[in-house]
Amino acid sequence: MVVGFFPTACACLLAVSPVADGGCDTTGSVRLEGVVVRGATSGSGRSLALPVEVAGRGFLREFFTGDLSRTLGRVAGVRSMDIGSGFAKPVIRGMGFNRVVVSENGIKQEGQQWGADHGLEIDAFGVERVTVVKGPVSLLYGSDAMGGAVEISRGLPPAKEGIYGEVAMMAKSVNGTLGGSVMVGAKRGSWFTRFRYSERHFGDYRVPTDTIVYLTRRLPIHGRALKNTAGAERDAEGHVEYLSGGYHGWLAASNAYQKVGFFPGAHGIPDASRLTDDGNRWNVEMPYSVVNHLKLSTRQQLARWGALFSWDAGYQGNRREEWSLFHTHYGGQQPPERFPDRELSFFLETLSSSASARWGTEGREWTVGWDAQGQWNRVGGYAFLLPDYDRWTTGLFALFTFRVGERFSASGGARYDRGRVSVAASEDVYLADYLRGRGYDEAEIEYYRWRAYGARRHFGDVSASFGAEWRVDERQSLRINAGRGFRLPGAHELASNGVHHGAFRHEQGDPSLSSERGWQLDLSYTREGAGFSFSFSPFCSFFRNYIYLIPTGEWSVLPHAGQIYRYAGARVVFAGAELSLGMDLPGGFRYHFTGEYVYTRNRDARVPLSFSPPASARNVLSWGGARFRCHAEWQCTATQRQVARNEDPTPGANLFHAGATGTLSLGGARAEVTLSLQNLLGTRYHNHLSFYRKVEIPEPGCDIQMVIRVSF
Amino acid sequence: MKTKTFWRCLAFAVTALFLAAACEDSDNVSPVIDLEEPADGDTLRIGAGVHFEMDLSDNEALKSYRVAFHDNFDGHGHDSRADEETISFTYDRSWDVSGKKSTHVHHHDIIIAANATPGPYHMEVYCTDASGNEAYLVRDVVLSHEGGEDDDED
Repeated sequence: MVVGFFPTACACLLAVSPVADGGCDTTGSVRLEGVVVRGATSGSGRSLALPVEVAGRGFLREFFTGDLSRTLGRVAGVRSMDIGSGFAKPVIRGMGFNRVVVSENGIKQEGQQWGADHGLEIDAFGVERVTVVKGPVSLLYGSDAMGGAVEISRGLPPAKEGIYGEVAMMAKSVNGTLGGSVMVGAKRGSWFTRFRYSERHFGDYRVPTDTIVYLTRRLPIHGRALKNTAGAERDAEGHVEYLSGGYHGWLAASNAYQKVGFFPGAHGIPDASRLTDDGNRWNVEMPYSVVNHLKLSTRQQLARWGALFSWDAGYQGNRREEWSLFHTHYGGQQPPERFPDRELSFFLETLSSSASARWGTEGREWTVGWDAQGQWNRVGGYAFLLPDYDRWTTGLFALFTFRVGERFSASGGARYDRGRVSVAASEDVYLADYLRGRGYDEAEIEYYRWRAYGARRHFGDVSASFGAEWRVDERQSLRINAGRGFRLPGAHELASNGVHHGAFRHEQGDPSLSSERGWQLDLSYTREGAGFSFSFSPFCSFFRNYIYLIPTGEWSVLPHAGQIYRYAGARVVFAGAELSLGMDLPGGFRYHFTGEYVYTRNRDARVPLSFSPPASARNVLSWGGARFRCHAEWQCTATQRQVARNEDPTPGANLFHAGATGTLSLGGARAEVTLSLQNLLGTRYHNHLSFYRKVEIPEPGCDIQMVIRVSF
Repeated sequence: MKTKTFWRCLAFAVTALFLAAACEDSDNVSPVIDLEEPADGDTLRIGAGVHFEMDLSDNEALKSYRVAFHDNFDGHGHDSRADEETISFTYDRSWDVSGKKSTHVHHHDIIIAANATPGPYHMEVYCTDASGNEAYLVRDVVLSHEGGEDDDED
C-alpha cells in the first residue's frame, strides 16, 4: 500500500512545481519566509544551512488558536499532535516528543516531553516570534534536537519611552473557550520591564458524531460533546531587561499551569456507564492531567574586544500529575494517605547554563561555547511508570561561517557531549504479592518485583553539521546541509516499566540502550520574485539506532496489558519534502500553497513508524491590506496507510476554513479583531497524530473563534 | 545551465526516494478475534468452567492468545469489594497457537474459583501474531452463583 502511495505523493508535489516558473509571491498575510538567519542573533547562533521558517507577529496573530503548537501546525513541515481541542505538541518532519527542542529565550524547555497527554507549557498570548529549524540541530542544542527546534524569542524593547500595554480576549465555539491576557510594560532609559498574565478556560469539545466504536463496542457521545475534555490554563510571566552600551542582560520568571480532563472512554476499558452526561460542560473530573511549569532565567551579554560574550542560565521546575480515582488490581494495596487519587506524579527540576563567545570579521565568523545541564526527577503516585532519576549532560561546540565572494557561503561546526543518567531501583511489593497469589514461582516473582533496576549509564557523542549556500542569482538560492545528530536515551526509554493510561499498554525501558544516532541530508531551493515565491526542501535521514517502542510478542504479567512494548533501537529512514508556492493574482488576491510529505520506515522490522504525518496540503486564497485582511482555505490531508504495527490507518479529509482580521485605530490605542472559522462544513475526520485517534474519536467539528486585541 | 543541473540532481533524489519506498512491507495486519462464547453481558456460574469458544485468524501466522478476568465493581476502577469469605476473582492465562493461520478454540479450561465474589467483571481477550500484531477485545460478564450455563452443556 505504501508502495503505491509514495509515488503518488511525489507526483503531486512535482506536479505543482511547473507553476513556479509562472512568477508569484508569498501570501502577505501568511508570511512564512524560508530564510536562513545568518548568525544575526545570539543564543542559538543559527548559522547552519538548514531550512528555517520564521513565524512573525502577524502570522502568530492571524492564526492564533490559544495554543502555540496548533498555530505552528500551519508551517510547512510542522504538524501538531493534538490532545482534544485544548493542547497540542509540535511534530517536525515526523519527529516529536524528545526529538524536538523547544527553546524560549535561549533556555531549552524541559518537561516530561515524552508524554503525549499534555501541551507545550508556553503562553501562546505572549509569543512574538518563532523560528522553526527543520533538521538535526544537536550541534546547537546538544542531545534531543534530532528532528529540529522551535525557538521562541522575545521581541526587542520598544523604541519609545513610556508605559504601554495590551489586553486580549478570545472566545471559541467548539469547546466554549473563554480566554484573556493582560500585558503591561514600561521603558525608561536603559531599563525595560514587562509583565503578562493570561488565562484560558475551555469546556468539553464538540464532535460531529453521536457514537464512537472502540474495541468493538459502540459508545454514546451524549450531546455531541466529548465528556470531561474540558480544561484550563493560567500563565504568568515577567521580565526586567537592561540594555546599554555593549551590555544587554535580563532576568525573567514565568509559570505555566495547565489542567485538562481525559475522556473517560479513553482511560481504561471503555464503559458506557462512565460516559453518561453529567450536565456540566465546564467541569474537570477524574481522570485528568495537571502540569505546572516554573521557569527562572537570565541572559548576560557583553560586546567587547571585538567579540560577543553570552551566558544564559535557568532553573525549571516541572510538575506533571495524572489523577484518577484510586484503583488497584493488588488486594494488599491501600490508597496513599496523602493524595489518595494521584495515580502518577513526576517532578523534574532542571538547572541549565550555556556560555558562548562569537567573533569574526566580515566574511568569517567563529563561535565557541559550552553547555551544561543537570536534571533531577522525583516520582510519586499509587501507580508506577517511571523511577526517580538524575541526568547530567555537558557539551563543547565550535561553529563557523565563511563567505566566499558575493554568492557563496559555507557554515558548520562540531560538538562533543558527555552525559550521565542514574536511574534509581524501584521495587513493587504489591505486584510481587499479586503474582504470588496467581501462582508464579519465586524466581519469576523476584524478576518482576523490580519495576526498575538501578542503573548508571555514561554516554558520549559527536554532533556535526556542514552546509553551503549558493546564491545562483538575485532570485534563486540553493542550500545543502549534511548533519549528524544524536540523542541520549531518555530515562523513560531506559527505565519505564508499567501501564500508562494514556497509552494503555505495558511500556518497558531497556537500561542497556545506547544513544540514538542519525545522519540527515537537506536540500532547499528558493526562488523569489516580484509577486512570486517558491521553495522546495527535500530531506532524507538515516538512523542507526532510532529508539522507539516495539511490540515484543511477550505477554505482560501486569493486569490490563496485552503484550509488552519495549524501547529498542532500529535502523530507520525518514524522507520527505515540503513545497511552498505563493503568487499574486489580479484584483489584490494572493494564492499560497504549502504541501508536505514524510516517508518513514523501520528497516529492521520492515514497517513504517507510528505517528507518521500523512501527506497534506493547504491552499490559501487571501485578500486585503494593512487594515483588513481575509482568507479562505482548503486543507487536504491524504489517507495515512503508512502505519506501524498495531496502529490503524487514518482516512484523509478535505477541510475548509476562513478568517478575517480588521484593525482599528482609536486615539492612541489600536484594536485588532480576528475572526476565524475552522472546519466550516463540520466534516467528521480523524487526525492521525491525535492523542484520541486510537480511541476512534473524531476531531472537533465546526469552530468559530474570535480574538480581540487592544494595544496602547 | 546551473538550473538544469539542479533539476537533474532533484530528479535523481526523488528517484532514490522512490526506490527506497519500493521495498515491501512486512506483516502489519492484526489477527482477528471472533469470540462466540461468552457473549457480552453473559452470566457465568461461580465454581464452574467457562464455555469458551472463538475463531482466531491471521493473514500470516498466529502466535498466542490470552484471556484475563478482573472485577468491574465500581463501574470504573477496580476497588476490591471482597469480604472475608469471597475474593475478587482474577484470571490470566495464555495459550500457544503458533504456526496456525486460523484456528477454532473451544474449551472449558477457565474455572471460576468457588470463592469468587459475585458481580460484574471484565473479560479481556488478546491475540498476537508471529510479527507482534495484536488484537484485543473486552466483554462485560457477570459472575453469579445462580444462572449461567453449566459446564456440561456441550
